[in-house]
This record gives sequence, C-alpha cells and structure tokens, in this order.
Amino acid sequence: MNPMIRKELRQRMRERRGWLLPSLYLLVLSAIVIFIYFVTTQNPDRSSVEGAAVGVFLFLALSYSQLALLLLMAPIFSSGSITIEKEQRTLSGLLTSLLTPGQIWWGKFVSSLLFVLLLLVTSLPVLSMAFAFGGIGPWEVFSATLTTVIVLASISAIGLYCSSTFQRSVHATAVSYATVIAITVVTAIVFFVRLQIYQSARSPSTYTWYTLPLNIRAPMYLNPFFFLTASFAPPRQLYPAWTTCALVFIVLGALAAALTLHNLRRSRDV
Amino acid sequence: MIAVEQIRKNFDGTPALAGFSLQVGRGELFGLVGPNGAGKTTLMKILSTLIRADGGTAQVGGLDVTAQSREVKRLIGYMPDQPGVYQDMGVREFLEFFADAFHITGPRRRAAVDRALARSGLAQRFHDSVEQLSFGMKQRLILAKTLLHEPKVLLLDEPATGLDPIARIELRSELKQLQAEGVTILISSHILSDLEDICSQIALIAAGRNASDAEGHSVIQLRAPRAPVRVYEIEFMGDARPALGVANSVAGVRLLQSGPSHLVVEIVGGDDQAASLLRALVMGGVNVVRFDHRAVDLEERYRLAFGEKHP
Repeated sequence: MNPMIRKELRQRMRERRGWLLPSLYLLVLSAIVIFIYFVTTQNPDRSSVEGAAVGVFLFLALSYSQLALLLLMAPIFSSGSITIEKEQRTLSGLLTSLLTPGQIWWGKFVSSLLFVLLLLVTSLPVLSMAFAFGGIGPWEVFSATLTTVIVLASISAIGLYCSSTFQRSVHATAVSYATVIAITVVTAIVFFVRLQIYQSARSPSTYTWYTLPLNIRAPMYLNPFFFLTASFAPPRQLYPAWTTCALVFIVLGALAAALTLHNLRRSRDV
Repeated sequence: MIAVEQIRKNFDGTPALAGFSLQVGRGELFGLVGPNGAGKTTLMKILSTLIRADGGTAQVGGLDVTAQSREVKRLIGYMPDQPGVYQDMGVREFLEFFADAFHITGPRRRAAVDRALARSGLAQRFHDSVEQLSFGMKQRLILAKTLLHEPKVLLLDEPATGLDPIARIELRSELKQLQAEGVTILISSHILSDLEDICSQIALIAAGRNASDAEGHSVIQLRAPRAPVRVYEIEFMGDARPALGVANSVAGVRLLQSGPSHLVVEIVGGDDQAASLLRALVMGGVNVVRFDHRAVDLEERYRLAFGEKHP
C-alpha cells in the first residue's frame, strides 16, 4: 500500500472533522428526507399520493442535495492537502524520499476522495429509503452514484492542483470554491442568458436539447447538476449528453493532475 | 563525493548561485559558510534534488543530481533549515512512515526504526506524540529520520539553529561519529565555532560565488597537519616606509594590512621564510618590537572575508 495513503487516512481520521462532518452530513440529509416526505404527502391538491411518486421525488431531491453538499465538502479535503505540507515544512522530506511526485499525488488524491466517498456511502441507507416507496431501481442509484463520484474525483483533482499552486491553505481553498462556483453557477447563468438571446432572435418554436446549437449547450457540459440530470436517462440514452459530461470531467481532472505533478516536480518553496 | 562545477541558479531573474564550485572528498566533514542570501540553501536544495540548476554541474557520488535524481536520493540524507514534523503522529509512527517512504520493508524496517530511536535517544519515548517533544528532541528525531536509509552523504542546512548549547554539543558529537563511520557530510551553519570544532575544511560563499578570505583562500583548511601559509603581525617603531619596502621585496611574503606602526603579512614556507623576513627587516633598519604568528580563528576570517555587518 502506498505509504502516503495510509498516513493521510490515519491523519484525517484523527481530526475532529473525521467524525463531525459525517455526522452533520447525515443530519442534513435526514432533515431533507423528512422535509421532502411531508411536502409530497401533505399536498392538499392531491387526493391520494402514489408511493412511486414519493420515491422518485425523494430520490431526486436527495441526489441533488447530496451532490450540492459534497461539492461544498470536497475542496475542504483536497485544497489543503499539499499546502499543509508546505505550511508545516514537511514537503521537502517527502520530495527527498523515494516517493515519486506521482505517489505523493495519488496518496493525497485517494485519501481526499475516500473521505468524500465515505460520506457518500454513509448516505446510502438514507438514499435507499426511496426504494421503500418504489419508482426507483438499482440502475438509477448506480448511475447517479457513479456520476457523483466522477464529479467529486474531478473536483478533488482541481483542489489538489490549487493546493500545489498556492503556499497557504486559505488561498487554495478560496480558489477551489471559486472553481466550484464557476462550474455550477456561472455555467448555468451563461447557458440561460445565451438561451434567452437565442430564443428572442427566433419565432416561438419547440426545440429540444439537441436542436440547440452546441455553443449554447457547451457550458452545461461543465455543470455537475446537468451531468447528474443526464445520468437519470435510461442506459441507451446516456450518449451523447452523459458521455460528453463524463469525458469533460475526466479530462478536467486529468489536466489538473498533470499540472499538480508538474508543480510538485518544480516545487522550489519547500 | 560531492562535485559542484560552476553551478548557476536564478529565481525570477535574480541570481541565487552565479558560478559556484565545490569539491568534497569521501568521508569529509565539510562546512559551508556565507552571509544570509549567499546561496547556501539553494546549493543544498540542488544537491538534494529538490530544485534544478540553470547551469553548471552537480554530482553526488559520481551521479548527476538532475539526470539521476532517484539514485542520488538513495545516497543522500537531507535536513533542511527549519525542517517540519507531523505533529499529530507518534514518534515511532513518524519514523515508520519515512522508512516506508524509503522502501525499507519487513524486518529491515523494524531494525532501522529501532536503530533510529536508539541513536536519537528517543527509545523511551517512542509511544509519545511528536507534538509532545521539545524543539531539540524534534531536531534529533528529524536527524534520525534523515539517517533511516543509511545515506552515504548528509546534507545539513543550518542543523544547529535554535538548539541549546547541550543539544549543539550532542549534535557535534553525533556528526563526528557519523564521519567516523564513513559518512560524507556537507553542513552549512552560522555558528562558526561549531564548524571550527568539527569540520576539516570550510568553503566560503557570497553572492552565489566562491568567496575568499583576507588571505585569498576560498576553502579554509582547518585540520591540515602543518599549515603552509601563516599570518604574522609585525610591530615596529619609527617610519613605516622601510618596513613596507622590505615586506614587499621578500619572496613568499604577501602584505595583508599595513598601519603607521604595524604590518600584517602572509608568509608561505613556514618558519625558515619567517626568519628570513625578520632578518631582512632588521638588516633594513626597521626597529621591530613584535614579530608574532597570529592564529586566525574562523570567526575572524569570516569577519575579514564578509565584513562586520555579517556576524
């Protein structure tokens, strides 16, 4: 086992946030489940509520809430990962050992991602409550979970890149959050603004996602929530929207990893 | 064991090293001295493979530090100035992590960690958290970690900074012991008396280049059995011009300083040459009142080389 992974996991689990964050995370998700359940079952306009409708609504609400919460948490674990080594002046010890920059990166990446995945796994019992109501199958849970993992891996890689670029954790964390905001909020704003301009220039007509020009659709391929939405399509309809999003996030993560390795090899402030 | 030739390194256009050269023989305990910003830490980082030089060559054990960095890492132990520790780790856990990082596995790992604990005097405190150790103990732990993979070359950048006198004595003693075991050590320090006590040679560095002391030496020999060059102080009465004339005319004599009633000269050739100078002064009509060999200590050489503004 890569010694970096063992060291990182031990250190993370010793921190107070090692148990505090999963507890808070589960509390928030549980609150969302209770809220959604009461909203869907106490709708005065409906004489009877189908269990499947509750299940689907619960699942969608939980999937989006979970992604939002994890997008907020992922930078906490990754963006301070290398800067902490710089701040406590231990990076030179790692770089002059026989650990390669690739092993150091992999250790940091896996431990950052594993902690976020721990949160994801702890939420599975809450998510599985949707099964009890019906309307949701294993495929939906699998594709939503896989999509969330790809997004979180990419965000963790970007957080590590910020961590390798900046000297202080506070700066790396701020830039990581700015990146999360850029890909979630800014891409959505750009898309909707361009869509409005596109619609106003043409007579009202029905259009589908794929009839929109690519330059209008493009920002949404970077949006994690659109990526998650695309994952709810049946298996045969995952191409091209979900596949394109997956490719974009994998390339983004790979690019961030390559730049992090470059920074580690050229690290002078150690 | 360490060969540096015309090494150059710039940071954002500012030269940190501008053609520095150094040769350290196998088993030597070699000092590196210079004012702040002279380029000592940059040189240490290049030798430890942390940064790449812009020009020149640097070899450790015949291996190029850039092209063969992985092999060099097996050979060296590097202790940076202001080294850090993982405060939340246990003492033994800290050493075990670095043993893993140096690919020391199985029974060798346990033996290496036990040896490091014994060597650092932390065997009784292996279960303690690193955070609980004093500064001196942390330095000992870091040195023990640096020695885990039994390096042939030690690169120590200001290792005594912040240590109390007892800890400094223990560090000197450990370095002497390591040298006796055949380890080559390059050490930079501002504590000149420490270097004087343990080093056989000391290289001077300033503004990224080899610097010279007042006697023109860029490498000061501290453990030479019989110094071929000696410095003499001469005091006399009367006019200084005859004394200057004689000092400048005798072969093997170089004038270092002159005043109205004294001279400082460097004499190459030992006692015979010193006797010749004295005879020439007396024969030349100089009323010599004192003619003394002056043992110049490292601190004074440093002061003469770099000026009083760099203590």
